[in-house]
Amino acid sequence: MNDIISKLTEKFGAVIDERAVDKCLIIAAEKLPDAIETLGFDVLIDIVGVDYLGMENYKGKRFAVIYCLKNTKDMARLRLKVLVEEGEKIPTISKIYPIADWQEREVWDQFGIVFEGHPNLRRILNHVDFEGHPLRKDYPAQKRQWLSENDKMQDQLENRLETLGYNVIGDEQ
Amino acid sequence: MQNGNPGFFAGKLDELVSWGRSHSLWPFPYGTACCAIEFMSTESARYDLSRLGSEFVRFTPRQADVLAVSGTITFKQAPILKRIYEQMMEPKWVIAMGACACSGGFYDCYCTVPGIDHIVPVDIYIGGCPSRPEAFFDAMLDLQEKVKSESYMEDRKKKLKEQWENIKDWIK
Repeated sequence: MNDIISKLTEKFGAVIDERAVDKCLIIAAEKLPDAIETLGFDVLIDIVGVDYLGMENYKGKRFAVIYCLKNTKDMARLRLKVLVEEGEKIPTISKIYPIADWQEREVWDQFGIVFEGHPNLRRILNHVDFEGHPLRKDYPAQKRQWLSENDKMQDQLENRLETLGYNVIGDEQ
Repeated sequence: MQNGNPGFFAGKLDELVSWGRSHSLWPFPYGTACCAIEFMSTESARYDLSRLGSEFVRFTPRQADVLAVSGTITFKQAPILKRIYEQMMEPKWVIAMGACACSGGFYDCYCTVPGIDHIVPVDIYIGGCPSRPEAFFDAMLDLQEKVKSESYMEDRKKKLKEQWENIKDWIK
């Protein structure tokens, strides 16, 4: 475990997070995909977003995205933290871990943190007409947004069927 | 049928229809959360809702009379619930089972509908988190009383009048 941490600190300029209880390293956004690829951990457990707005004794960037990684070969766990300000982008890691596709969509949906190069960055938990990002601290908790009609998702389904080799016949035919 | 008083035969027929309806209320289970588990228990052998005439749980809205909404309804789900209600045949009734369906429960947040009566008209509310099967039985008996008090003839008359108002101008 220590050699992994020293490798990250030397090669990618990662810093050990003093506030965290467990092993957690803060890393710059642009170095994240390379760092994750060189680590070679085989499970991405979760991607978590944090909004530090209004937190006591905290001066720094507003948002954090935490990547929880695990290696099943030696049962090592590691967390990588990327700090971003409003409007800053994080490069996507969905090419390394396919599950990151949905996890990044969820983080964008709830916090509005944009992942650069993501193939399909749209809402996953909230409905299509939703405005704003509900897990931000400045989102009014009592604000409710009604939905009158569900999205059809027909185009995505057709795309998926076409990639699987089916011949899709459209509505008009 | 003069002065709103049905004759002897029509009156008895009316009563018969209401009685028949009240003892064959087939529910549609719209289960989304833990209340649905209690609903399953209500339906199955230990409590056995069939004793009240709700013989089958119908999984198609076209064949169901009672929409039993048991569980939390989110805003993303609201159009689906509304569509299912609209697909049900007349006459139809709605039971809101549990705190979440009645008022949103403790989900006082951005994603939960604060009571399904914002979407569909509700006849019976059941409290509890989740409601016990006994509570569902009580609601079903209440609903039977309500169905018995409704008049098929009056309903029909109202409907025909509405339909006549709609097509009146077309005919003339």
